[in-house]
Amino acid sequence: MEFSMQWWHWLALGLLLVGAELIVPSFTIFWFGLGAGFTGLLLLLFPGLSLTAQLALFALFSAGSTIFWFRVLKPRMADRSTAGMAREAIIGELALVIKGSASPRDKGRVRFTVPLLGSEEWPCICSESLQAGDEVRVTGIEGHVLTVEKR
Amino acid sequence: MPGLILIVILLALVLVTIFLGVRIVPQGYKHVVQRLGKYHKTLNPGLNFVIPYLDTIAYKVLTKDISLDIPSQEVITKDNAVITANAIAFINIIDPPKAVFGIDNYLVAIRNLVQTSLRSIIGEMNLDDALTSRELIKTRLKESISDDVAAWGIVVKTVEIQDIKPSATMQMAMEQQAAAERTRRAAITEAEGKKSAAILNAEGAKEAAIREAEGNLEASKRDAEAKKILADATREAISRVTEAIGENQLPATYLLGEQYVEAVKEMSGSSNSKLVLLPADVIGAVRGLLGK
Repeated sequence: MEFSMQWWHWLALGLLLVGAELIVPSFTIFWFGLGAGFTGLLLLLFPGLSLTAQLALFALFSAGSTIFWFRVLKPRMADRSTAGMAREAIIGELALVIKGSASPRDKGRVRFTVPLLGSEEWPCICSESLQAGDEVRVTGIEGHVLTVEKR
Repeated sequence: MPGLILIVILLALVLVTIFLGVRIVPQGYKHVVQRLGKYHKTLNPGLNFVIPYLDTIAYKVLTKDISLDIPSQEVITKDNAVITANAIAFINIIDPPKAVFGIDNYLVAIRNLVQTSLRSIIGEMNLDDALTSRELIKTRLKESISDDVAAWGIVVKTVEIQDIKPSATMQMAMEQQAAAERTRRAAITEAEGKKSAAILNAEGAKEAAIREAEGNLEASKRDAEAKKILADATREAISRVTEAIGENQLPATYLLGEQYVEAVKEMSGSSNSKLVLLPADVIGAVRGLLGK
């Protein structure tokens, strides 16, 4: 091997890869950019690493940063809008029971303050018995029936 | 050296894995993932990671509201009139896996459902009801479809009747009916006008006649009163003259004679009659005037 990788080669490669993300917006090259950057920094700290080790580190860091992202950072990214996500838009909404249900097999009726999914009133089912006037929270939607729980 | 080759291969593998595993789902879509042919999970909008060796993106489902144009169709009403109706439905896919695995093609299915439901609902109505009660058709349509599509994880937000119109011949007949109705009303209005005018005219004439008669009556009364007053005055005058004359008639005779002569003079002076008969005995004539 005449050519040996210097630490700044890795850093430059990392920057180029991060820059390439702008051209190919798939959010995949980015991780390799980060991996290359980390490898470059490690090479700066431990200059004696072999090329095999460098490549292994590169692969490890790239996969590691991807995993870190999806395991740690992504769950913290809240949805900014529920537009186009009807299910997410209706779940968690509060509603007022206008017709109670005695048992879980009965259907009650709830009313929202603003129309959701095209109507203000929905049939609902609940594991407990409901009285008219109760406030409930939507937990799911099954066909044209909402599943609710008491607040 | 073998280590290096292995590492390079591993690197390539990591590269491909990350390339195929990172999935960006745009807002308004959800992707249904199958793991080895079986439903695994649904990817929400944003950045997602799937395991490329096991998972495949089987379906990309649109979770925005979908506007479904329901093509126009001929529907026969309860009273056997043909009308053409078309609609637009707004649906939303709540549960992507149910929608893609529960029915072969939910768009076609819902389109056909709306069409058949529309036919059956209008088929239970008379023509006039069908043309006027769109709101009712809408609600019943929504109710009848909702239960069917619920199993596919789809919510029908609303079904709007866009156009509902009778067939050409029916339309012509309806227009004729409307025109006839207008004509009838015009004729009635005109007749009523004439009747009112005649009544008013007659009332006017009656009023006028009454007023005229009243006027005449009043005038006659006044005339009679005037005559009375005149007669009274004449009587008074005569009695006064008589009183003045008394027994002595000569001055009166003289005055009368003088006036008589004056009258004869005027008569002779007039241009048209040249024949004046004079009584020979003027005194006698004047006395005769006095009736003595």
